[in-house]
Amino acid sequence: MLSYLVQRLFLMLVTLFGISLVIFALLRIVPGNIVDVLFDAAGFVDPAEKIKIEKDLGLDQPIVVQYATWIGGLLRGDLGFSYVSEKPALAEILPRIPITARLAGLALLFAVSLGVPLGVVSAVKQNTRLDYFLRVVSLAGLSLPAFWLGLLILMASVALFGTIPIYNAAPKSMWDSFVMYAVPAAAVGLRSSALIMRLTRSSMLEVLRQDYIRTARSKGASERSINYSHALKNAILPIVTIIGVEAAFLIGGLIVTETVFNIPGVARFLVEAIRWRDYPIVQNLVMFIAVVVVVVNFVVDLLYAALDPRIKLGA
Amino acid sequence: MSGSQARTRAAISIAVALAATAGLASPVLAQKQGGTLKLYQRDSPASASIHEEATYSNNVPFMPIFNNLVVFKQDAPQNTVETIVPDLATSWAWSDDKTKLVFKLREGVTWHDGKPFTSADVKCTFDMLMGKGTNKFRKNPRKSWYDNVSDVTVNGDTEATFNLKRPQPALISLLASGYTPVYPCHMSAADMRTKPVGTGPFKFVEFKANESIKLVRNPNYWKPGRPYLDGIDLPIIANRSTAMLGFIAGQIDMTFPTEVTVALLKDIKGQAPQAICKFEPSNVSTNLIVNRDAPPFDNINIRRAMALAMDRKSFISILFEGQADEGGALLPPPAGIWGMPKDQLETVAGYGPDVKKNRDEARKLIEAAGYSADKRLKVKVSTRNIPTYRDPAVILIDQLKDIYIDGELDVVETANWFSKVARKDYMIGLNLTGNAVDDPDQSFYENFACGSERNYTNYCNKELEKEFDLQSQETDPAKRKVMAWAIDKKLQDDVARPVIYHSRLGTCWQPKVKGVTVMVNSSYNGYRYEDVWLDQ
Amino acid sequence: MKQLEIDAELKKAGAHAKGRFGELRFLARRYLLGTIGLVIMIMFILTALFAEWIAPFDPLTVNAKQALAAPGALHWLGADSFGRDVFSRIVYGTRISMAVGIGSMLLGSSLGVVIGLTSGYLGGWVDLVFQRLVDILQALPLLVLALVMAAALGPSLQNTILAIAIPLVPTVARVIRANTLTLRELPFVEAAKAAGMSETRIALRHVLPNTLAPLIVLATAQFGSAILTEASLSFLGLGIPEPHPSWGRMLSESAAEYVRTAPWLVIFPGLAISLIVFGTNLLGDALRDILDPRQRT
Repeated sequence: MLSYLVQRLFLMLVTLFGISLVIFALLRIVPGNIVDVLFDAAGFVDPAEKIKIEKDLGLDQPIVVQYATWIGGLLRGDLGFSYVSEKPALAEILPRIPITARLAGLALLFAVSLGVPLGVVSAVKQNTRLDYFLRVVSLAGLSLPAFWLGLLILMASVALFGTIPIYNAAPKSMWDSFVMYAVPAAAVGLRSSALIMRLTRSSMLEVLRQDYIRTARSKGASERSINYSHALKNAILPIVTIIGVEAAFLIGGLIVTETVFNIPGVARFLVEAIRWRDYPIVQNLVMFIAVVVVVVNFVVDLLYAALDPRIKLGA
Repeated sequence: MSGSQARTRAAISIAVALAATAGLASPVLAQKQGGTLKLYQRDSPASASIHEEATYSNNVPFMPIFNNLVVFKQDAPQNTVETIVPDLATSWAWSDDKTKLVFKLREGVTWHDGKPFTSADVKCTFDMLMGKGTNKFRKNPRKSWYDNVSDVTVNGDTEATFNLKRPQPALISLLASGYTPVYPCHMSAADMRTKPVGTGPFKFVEFKANESIKLVRNPNYWKPGRPYLDGIDLPIIANRSTAMLGFIAGQIDMTFPTEVTVALLKDIKGQAPQAICKFEPSNVSTNLIVNRDAPPFDNINIRRAMALAMDRKSFISILFEGQADEGGALLPPPAGIWGMPKDQLETVAGYGPDVKKNRDEARKLIEAAGYSADKRLKVKVSTRNIPTYRDPAVILIDQLKDIYIDGELDVVETANWFSKVARKDYMIGLNLTGNAVDDPDQSFYENFACGSERNYTNYCNKELEKEFDLQSQETDPAKRKVMAWAIDKKLQDDVARPVIYHSRLGTCWQPKVKGVTVMVNSSYNGYRYEDVWLDQ
Repeated sequence: MKQLEIDAELKKAGAHAKGRFGELRFLARRYLLGTIGLVIMIMFILTALFAEWIAPFDPLTVNAKQALAAPGALHWLGADSFGRDVFSRIVYGTRISMAVGIGSMLLGSSLGVVIGLTSGYLGGWVDLVFQRLVDILQALPLLVLALVMAAALGPSLQNTILAIAIPLVPTVARVIRANTLTLRELPFVEAAKAAGMSETRIALRHVLPNTLAPLIVLATAQFGSAILTEASLSFLGLGIPEPHPSWGRMLSESAAEYVRTAPWLVIFPGLAISLIVFGTNLLGDALRDILDPRQRT
C-alpha cells in the first residue's frame, strides 16, 4: 500500500513536471509577446522601449533561465508577477478560484442530482420507451455546445423575465447570490448530467447482470429492493469514478460559460491571459488545473479502493 | 376696483402662479448629492495610467481621478479653443511672440494622498512626457504632442511656463484633452499604472482586471460642492450583448460611451423607451493603411483605383444604417471644426456621388496596370481580430471584386498587429484612427509626418510637411481652416491613408442620470463626471 | 471480426434476412437510432461535398439591403449584419466542421495508434516514456490544451486541426495499448512469431487489424469532440478566422451583438453544431453496440 502511494506520488510529480515543460515551450512559440500586446493600447511599438520592457520582464533571458526562474519560484510559492496588472500572480489567481469553485460545485451538484436518478431509472427500465427516451435526450444533451446552451438560457431568461443574472461581486442577498450562480451552473451542469446519466446507466446494467443480483432475485427479493439497495449500492463505485472524470470535463464548460455569463472566475481568466500573452498567469493557471486534475484522479483511485474491498492497490 | 385693475391683478396672479410652478419645478432640477453611478466598462484596460495608453478605455474610468492644467468645458458638446476652461491652472497667457505659454496655478490643492500640489508636479508630468528626467513611462504614445515644446520652467510654486520652439496655438487644445492629466511628482510611473493618485473629484479604490474598477468621491476636492456622486462603479463587461441586457434591465445606469451601435440603439429604444440616448460622431475614422513601398500598391494608379472603387455610402448604410459621415482625415462639419466642406470633399477622387462612374474610372486605371477580369489582382487585406475592424474589411473585399481585385482577409491577433505593421508585412491594412483633439496639428503630425510613431505607412512628403508647419503657426483660425482643407485634400488625392468613414456611435443612460454631456468631436475628453448626479 | 459480430447479431435475433439488402434492413431496424445518426451524417457529408449546388447564395457576398433580414422566403434562415445568407453560410460551414472533424480525428487517431501500438507491443522503456507522455497530455482538459495550442500556433484551419488533434491522442493511445497488450499474448501472434515474421509485420498485419473495432468506436466519438472543440475555440476567438463561415465563429459574432435583436443568428449555427454532433453520437453508440459487445449498453 505504502509503496503504491509512493509510486503514484512519484508518477504525479513526473507528469506535472512534463506539463510544466510542455506549457512553457508552447507559450514561447506563440507569435508576439506581452510587449506587443502592451503596446497595442498605445497604438504603436517603440523598438527601444520594447527591448527595455522585455529586459524588465526577464524576457531577454535564455529560455532555460526563464524556465528555471519560474519553477524555482513555484517551488518557493512565488508565482511571479502578472505582466499586465503588475500584481503578484498569486494575488490575481487566488481571489478568482472561489468564484469558479462555487460555480463548479453547483454544476456538479446539479449534474449528479439529475444524472444519477435518471441513469438508475433508465437502467432499471432497460429497453422500455422511457429508457429509449432518456437515452436520446441524454445524447442530445451531450451534443449541445456548452456556450450555445448558455446563450439559449440567456435568451430564454430575457424572454421570460426580461432580464438576466449579471455577475455582482457583492450580491444583496443569499437569493441573489444563488440565482447569479445557479443559472450558469445549470448551463454547465446540464451537459455533465447527460454524461453522468449515461455512465450511471451502464454501470447499473453491469451490476444488474451480476450473479449476486440473480441470486437475490431467485431468493425472491422484491425488484425494488434489488434495484435500490443491492444494485445501486454497488453501482456507486463506478459513479464515484465518473464524478472524478467529470472534474476535467467541467473545466471546458466553465471556460465558455464564464465567458458567456461574464463571470470573473479563474476559467475565463485563462482565456484572457492567453490573449494578453500574460505568461506568468497562463503558466501558473495551467499548472493549477493540471494539479487539480491529477489530484482528483488520485483521490478517486484511493476512494475506489476504500469503498471496494475487492480492489487491492498496487496489485 | 376697476375692470382693468382686476385684469392686472389676474395677470399678476397668473404670473405668480407660473413663478410658483417654476419654483416647484426647480427643486426637481437642483442637483442632488449622493448615489453611486454604475457605468459598464467595455474591456479591461492595460493599466490605470492614462499617459501610457492610447485608448479611451483608459480615459473613461480614470479621467475622473485627475485634473489637467486646463480642460474642455465638460458640458459643452463641441470642443473648441473657446470652450477651454481653467482646471489646475486658474489662468493662462501667451507671450507676445506666441512662444511662451504661462500658467498661474491653483493654490491649496492637495493630491488624494494629502501631499500638496505645486508647479513641480506640472514640470515632472511634462518632463516625463517629453522623455526627460529619471522617472520614465514604460510607454509614451503621445510624446510627439510635445515635439515643439523645448522645456517647461517654473516660477515659485504657482507658476509654470511652456517654452515653445515656434508658435503653436494648438498646444492649449492638446493640454485640455482628457489625455493630458497632471501626475504627481512623488509617484513612480509604475505606481500610477496600478494605483493612480490625482487631484480630481474621485479617488481610485481598486481595479480588478476583467472584473471591475471602483472610484469613490474625493471629499477634499478643491471645487466646492463637487462631485455630486458618492462614487462610480465600473463593472467590466466584455460582451456587449450582456452589457446591453443589463442596461435594459436597469442593473446598469449608463452604457460605456460610444458602445451603442445602430442595431442596439433600436433594441434599447424598443425595450427601455425611457432611456436617454445620444448618437453622435466620435472623431474616430476608419481608414486604409496602404503599403506604398511594395508592389502592387507602390503603383499610384492601383492606389487611386482602390480609392475610387470604394462606395462609402454602402459602408455607411450597412454598418450604420446611414448614420455616419464621409470625410477626409479631419472630422467633417458640422460636428468637426476643421473638416472639408461637402462641396470641396466631392472634388476628391472617389468621393463623388456617382459610384458607377468612379468604378469605371478605377477599372481603367487597373487595366492600365495590366490587370483584367481574367488576370485578377490578388491582395491580402490585413486587419485586427476585432469586429469594428473586421466588419468594414469584409465589405471592402466585396467591393474590390468589382475592379478585378480579389482580396483575402488576413485576420491578425492583437498581439501581432503593430509589429506586423511596423515590419511592413502587409499590403492593405484596415485601421481605426481616433483623434483625441479635433485639431489639424494632432491629426497631421501624428498620422502623416515623416518619422512619427503612429504614421504606420511611413508616408513622407517633405513639401506637405512644410504646409503642416505653416498651418500650425497660423494664429487666425479662419485662415488656418482653409490651409487645413488644402492639406487634407492633398492627402486624400495622394491616397496616403484613404478614409472610409467617420463613425457615429451611441451612448445611453437611465433618466435618473443627470448632467451627462456627450462630446461630438472627440471621444477622449468628456469623462470628468464631477457634474453628473443621480435623481433618486 | 466486424462481419462475425453482425452475423452473430443476426442469428441471435433469429432473423431470416437474406442477401445484403435484407441484412441492411434488419440492421437499420435493430439499430434505429444508429441509422438516424448515419442518415444525419450522410446528409452533412453530402452538404459539404455539394455546397456550391445547395447554397442559394455565395457565403461571403455582402448585401447592404438584406442586412439582418429575418428568416423568410428569400433568406430561409435570415441574413447576418452584412446581409450574407445564413443558410448558405451554414452550408459552407459544414465543410469547415467536416474538415476539422475528420482532420483532427485522423491525425489524433493515427498518432494515438502509433503510440499505443508501439508502446503496447514493444513494452519496456519505450512504453514507459510513451505512457508518461500520455499522462501529461491527459492531465489537461481537452479545451485547455487546445486553447494554449491554438494560441501558440495562430489562427488558421490547419493549426486548429492540429491544436485539436493532439489532445485527442491519449485516449486512443490508451485503448490501443491495452488491446495490444492482450493481443500480444494470444496464440495466433505467438504462432506468427514462431513462423519467423518480423515484429513490425506482426504488429501491422495481426495486431492492428484486431484493434480496429474499438478504434472505430473511439474515432466516432472523437469526431464529435473535435467539432465541439472547434466551435468553442472559434467562439473564444482562437479558432478559424473570418471570413470562413465557421459555425463557432458565426456564433461568437452574433452572441456579442444580436442575442436580442436577431436571435436567428444565434439559433441556427448552434443547431447545426448540435445536429452534427448528435448524429455522430447516435452513430457512435450504435457502432459500439455492434463492434464492442463488452461495452454494450
